[in-house]
Amino acid sequence: MTEEKPLDFTREITSRLGGETITHCYQCGTCASTCPVARTTERYNPRQLIRLALLGQRDEVLKGDTIWLCASCYNCQERCPQKVEVADVIYALRNMAIREGNVPAIYMEFATGLMSEGRLAPISKFLEKKRTEYGLPPLKPANVEALKIILAATGFDKIMFKKEGASP
Amino acid sequence: MEEVKVGVFLSDCGGQIAKILDFEALTNFVKTVPGVTLVARGSEFWRGQGLQTIVDAVKTKKINRVVVAEAVPKISEVAVAKAVEAAGLNPHLVEVLDLKDHCAWPHRDTPKEATEKAKAMLLAAIEKAKLLEPIEKAEFPAVKSVLVIGGGIAGMQAAEDLADMGFQVYLVEKEPFLGGLAAKAVRFFPTDDCAICIQSPKDLAAVTQTSRKCVYRSGFSEIPNLNILTNAKIVKVEGSPGNFRVTVERKPRYVDEKKCVACDLCTIVCPVEVLDEYNAKLSKRKAIYINKPLVYPPAYVIDAKACKFHECAKCVEVCPTKAINLDQKTEQVTLNVGSIIVATGFREYDPSVIKEYHYGEYSDVVTHLELARMLDAFGPTGGVPIKPSDGQPAKRIVFVQCVGSRDRRWNPYCSSICCMISLKHATMIKEAFPDADVTICYIDIRTTGREHEYYYERARDMGVKFVKGRPSEIVHDPATNTLIVEVEDELLRRLLELEADLVVLATAMVPSEDAKELAQMLGIELDQDGFFKEYNAKLRPTETKRRGIFICGGAVFPKDAPTTSLHAHSAAVKAAKFLMNGKIVKDLKVAVVNQDYCGNCQFCPVTCPYGAITLEPKGDGHFAAKVSEILCEGCGVCVGTCPVGAIELRHLKPSQISAQIKALLSINGTSKPLVLAFSCSECGHAAVDSSGMAMMNYPANVRVLRVPCTGVIQVQHILEAFRAGAQGVMVVGCKPDGCHYEVGSQKAKQKVEMAKRLLQAYGIEPERLEMFNLVFIEGDKFAEAAKTMTEKVEKLGPLQLA
Repeated sequence: MTEEKPLDFTREITSRLGGETITHCYQCGTCASTCPVARTTERYNPRQLIRLALLGQRDEVLKGDTIWLCASCYNCQERCPQKVEVADVIYALRNMAIREGNVPAIYMEFATGLMSEGRLAPISKFLEKKRTEYGLPPLKPANVEALKIILAATGFDKIMFKKEGASP
Repeated sequence: MEEVKVGVFLSDCGGQIAKILDFEALTNFVKTVPGVTLVARGSEFWRGQGLQTIVDAVKTKKINRVVVAEAVPKISEVAVAKAVEAAGLNPHLVEVLDLKDHCAWPHRDTPKEATEKAKAMLLAAIEKAKLLEPIEKAEFPAVKSVLVIGGGIAGMQAAEDLADMGFQVYLVEKEPFLGGLAAKAVRFFPTDDCAICIQSPKDLAAVTQTSRKCVYRSGFSEIPNLNILTNAKIVKVEGSPGNFRVTVERKPRYVDEKKCVACDLCTIVCPVEVLDEYNAKLSKRKAIYINKPLVYPPAYVIDAKACKFHECAKCVEVCPTKAINLDQKTEQVTLNVGSIIVATGFREYDPSVIKEYHYGEYSDVVTHLELARMLDAFGPTGGVPIKPSDGQPAKRIVFVQCVGSRDRRWNPYCSSICCMISLKHATMIKEAFPDADVTICYIDIRTTGREHEYYYERARDMGVKFVKGRPSEIVHDPATNTLIVEVEDELLRRLLELEADLVVLATAMVPSEDAKELAQMLGIELDQDGFFKEYNAKLRPTETKRRGIFICGGAVFPKDAPTTSLHAHSAAVKAAKFLMNGKIVKDLKVAVVNQDYCGNCQFCPVTCPYGAITLEPKGDGHFAAKVSEILCEGCGVCVGTCPVGAIELRHLKPSQISAQIKALLSINGTSKPLVLAFSCSECGHAAVDSSGMAMMNYPANVRVLRVPCTGVIQVQHILEAFRAGAQGVMVVGCKPDGCHYEVGSQKAKQKVEMAKRLLQAYGIEPERLEMFNLVFIEGDKFAEAAKTMTEKVEKLGPLQLA
């Protein structure tokens, strides 16, 4: 595990969209006690995640799986007395992890699906059957070419698939 | 006008600086300057024989302008001014310069250049001295009486001090009874004595046997010179320091304090019952009531919102002393006071805005003040903490710290006393009910005062539990009528659900509701959190920027009782010092307005940090600025702000600035381009001093021109410096938020930015002008800045002016 000087990693986070408020944290634990995920698993604790980040534990934060466990309910962000945008900080950390190639398989599947079919989840037989039951029209294929142009313009494709052999 | 005769006194500091500066050359040079009639050299001139030389010159040689080159210029200035005043010369006709720290020491490696710079400095001082004009003293009458606003601990202590010292004191309290927040707090930490106990006045201590008593038997009301006005508030403040006229509105009490014998017959017959706010609405009281059991004044009051007045009037019938008058009206009293002390205290923040704690929704969630009423043996529950929802004793009690404080959403600051209040209440409960389960949920426990940590130790010894973690939600279980506090125990990294009968919120302490209105009436400032702002937190913690108005106690920031007392005594001393002579004497070093030029633009009234400038009708339908001589502090920020040059300082006229600019830049004597540094008399000049004292080196082409505050500098001064030969200009002021005149340094920065744009428009490199914000301990930074500026200007090459 590499340890970075805490401030360098902190500055990297605060310079990113969503990460600006991380230094406000005074470790009161409001986020942890309001978090529905922390209630179900000991693997995830937003207070501890922020603490690790502020102490410069870059690898543990960006290579571990905890940042991906946040359910984005924003309870923590609503209640944080220091106005730390906890959920947004976690998004910033996820973006940093992706840029370094640390993408969980499920997210890679989403990205691949988006590039190939224009959808996060593929159109399945089950889904079509359900739609018919509810009287909804069948889904049309998305305009993949147009989407690819947009995603290329944002740099999405390069960021997600920069690892060799990962390209769809 | 009498002929100007300048006497120049050159101190070589015991011969020390003569090793660097050529004093013979300096003496010869000074002799050639027109207007100089006497030049003397000595080892020091600010005391002893040297000072006598100056006095003799004034008396016998009829010298009427004195220029002294001396180290320690500030002390020298005072000493020389006093001496010449005694000799019959106006003390403001003296100009002191420092050839040691501003010339010899920093330029000791280039003695020839230093001597040339010394000539320029002497010439500037002489040219300025020739233009100096006498400044007279003014006397303003000061009434030896003080208004104290707020009858809590702070107000009572300050009022007592001042009355003891012989001042006429008016103590105004908005509630019907004295005591403020303290009266509800039962006990105080760290002494654990009654909150209601105060110091007895010194003259009455013998009569009351001991020196400390409950407010109502302390003899407080019997202090000569002390007038207590309860049920009253300030509605208007006029006049000026030393002579304020304050209008006070007194709400009717309907009971004559002097006749009431507190027999309680009236409350027995009164048919109206309302919730008792004093007891946190945990009990009821009648429409005619007294806060029991210990209050001043010991007289009942009628709650006008609840009373049926003449419809009922049963109390009037039974009152044995005929003390009740239902027709009493609101009355206004005008007080003439010399000084005002604000002691309006603080209050508990209403935590109902913090939705996750459900205060106001779940009745078993209470604040500290509400708990304090329960813990009062005379209170609504007789000293037992109960569940307000069903009246049952509370056995499991959870305290939540930092509620609405240290919270950027509501009040970002730490209220400083809530940790100790929680420890106090937790131990009080444990003492009375050892089986009670008491838990304190905290982020940090702050016990910074004397004996405070022992309080924390005692709480742990008694079995109070501490959970490090801030609860995220309080949940109510209706089946068991129990509260559940959700919190992470951070040290165990475990989520806890604490069951509680009663949850106590340690809420933020915030300024009193009327702080803003009062500040506006008094013309003083509030800080970012809404508390009354002191002049200077380090050195003038009870003064405001308005002379004669002082602040103390919780009105300035939440405080415990010992600190409140300290603060109140300090305010009393300051007010006494201000009024003790019955007059305010001041040198008229103030700004004056040329009414013919004044363009009625309102810039200066808005900018003046002291509210000293108002717009007055000129009589021709136009207005002109007018400076209050008593309020003006002489900083000159108005001068720097005036777009038409209609205001000037009596102690630094525009002609004097111009003369100094020209003189300082008339001799170079170095191979480097001239740089002029405008410095303020406060931190900026101190930084220049300290660079010399510490023997820092910087080149002799840098010349310093002192002004009272950098706020006085106008764009035209900067342009004038360039025209007179400066290749670079520095402005050296206090830190932007540390300006001794509040806004001067910031205004100077704006002026510098504006001048930079102008320079650019003229085709002059804007980097020839720079602002520096330095303090005394940054002498090295001044030397560095002087060097860098010189190098920069050298690189830019000579300035070509058309």
